[in-house]
Amino acid sequence: MERTFNITWLVLIGLTLLSAVFANLDFTYVATIILGLSFLKFIGVAFFFMELKKANAFWKVLLVAFLTLLLVVVWAV
Amino acid sequence: MDTTAKIDYKNIFYPPGGILLWIIIYLELVTFGIALVFMGLNARAEPELFHESRLLLNTAYGTINTVFLLSSGWCMAQSVHFLKLGNFSKSKLFLRLTILGGMLFLALKAVEYADKIEAGLTMGFNAFFGYYWMLTLFHVIHVVVGIIILLVLGRTLSKKPQTLKIADYESGAAFWHMCDLIWLLLFPIIYLLF
Repeated sequence: MERTFNITWLVLIGLTLLSAVFANLDFTYVATIILGLSFLKFIGVAFFFMELKKANAFWKVLLVAFLTLLLVVVWAV
Repeated sequence: MDTTAKIDYKNIFYPPGGILLWIIIYLELVTFGIALVFMGLNARAEPELFHESRLLLNTAYGTINTVFLLSSGWCMAQSVHFLKLGNFSKSKLFLRLTILGGMLFLALKAVEYADKIEAGLTMGFNAFFGYYWMLTLFHVIHVVVGIIILLVLGRTLSKKPQTLKIADYESGAAFWHMCDLIWLLLFPIIYLLF
């Protein structure tokens, strides 16, 4: 369990730094990449730190559906 | 405290942290989400203003604050883990580190706010900064409430650990992680996207 938390933390920090790097670049898919990285970080915290991976599928599907919908809408507008 | 008591998380009524807390988490996320969608709609109407305003934000502050909150979340997860193992001293240590992470977040946010106020970038400056102040201040209030909850849990853990229920501790932890989740939506959209 501790190992899982450590790996999750390292990945989350890496993704955060990657987001900051991409934000300073100027190309077509920057917004898509930043929102994609945000999706991964959100899932990392919810599923591993909050241990949602152990929960009933209902809670997992609800969270992923909400997040996908929100990020797609933000990306589309 | 019975640290061996097992909660059946697969039961739909018992997600880790408790069903009431998760209902609150979804309501909070939807509330912030709606505000972010409206911010996106305003940005579509005034893309140059939002882009130029976004460039006035300090991305380094936002990135460092993300690291503080994620590290704090990692400590909270460890604290819950050690509490379940009955290792109160390690659980307490990680809880204190969690609170420290939250305090560092607030300290840097205070510096950032002071910079913005000094530069005249207040809530009424333009639409972008209206959203910036409203959303980040609302989040800061959650962080303050989260720290108070953790301080109360820490006090119980120090003085009467036998009265502390794992379900209550997990609820407090879930609230703290919710602050992470909200920030993980605010940071990329406000600081990086436009």
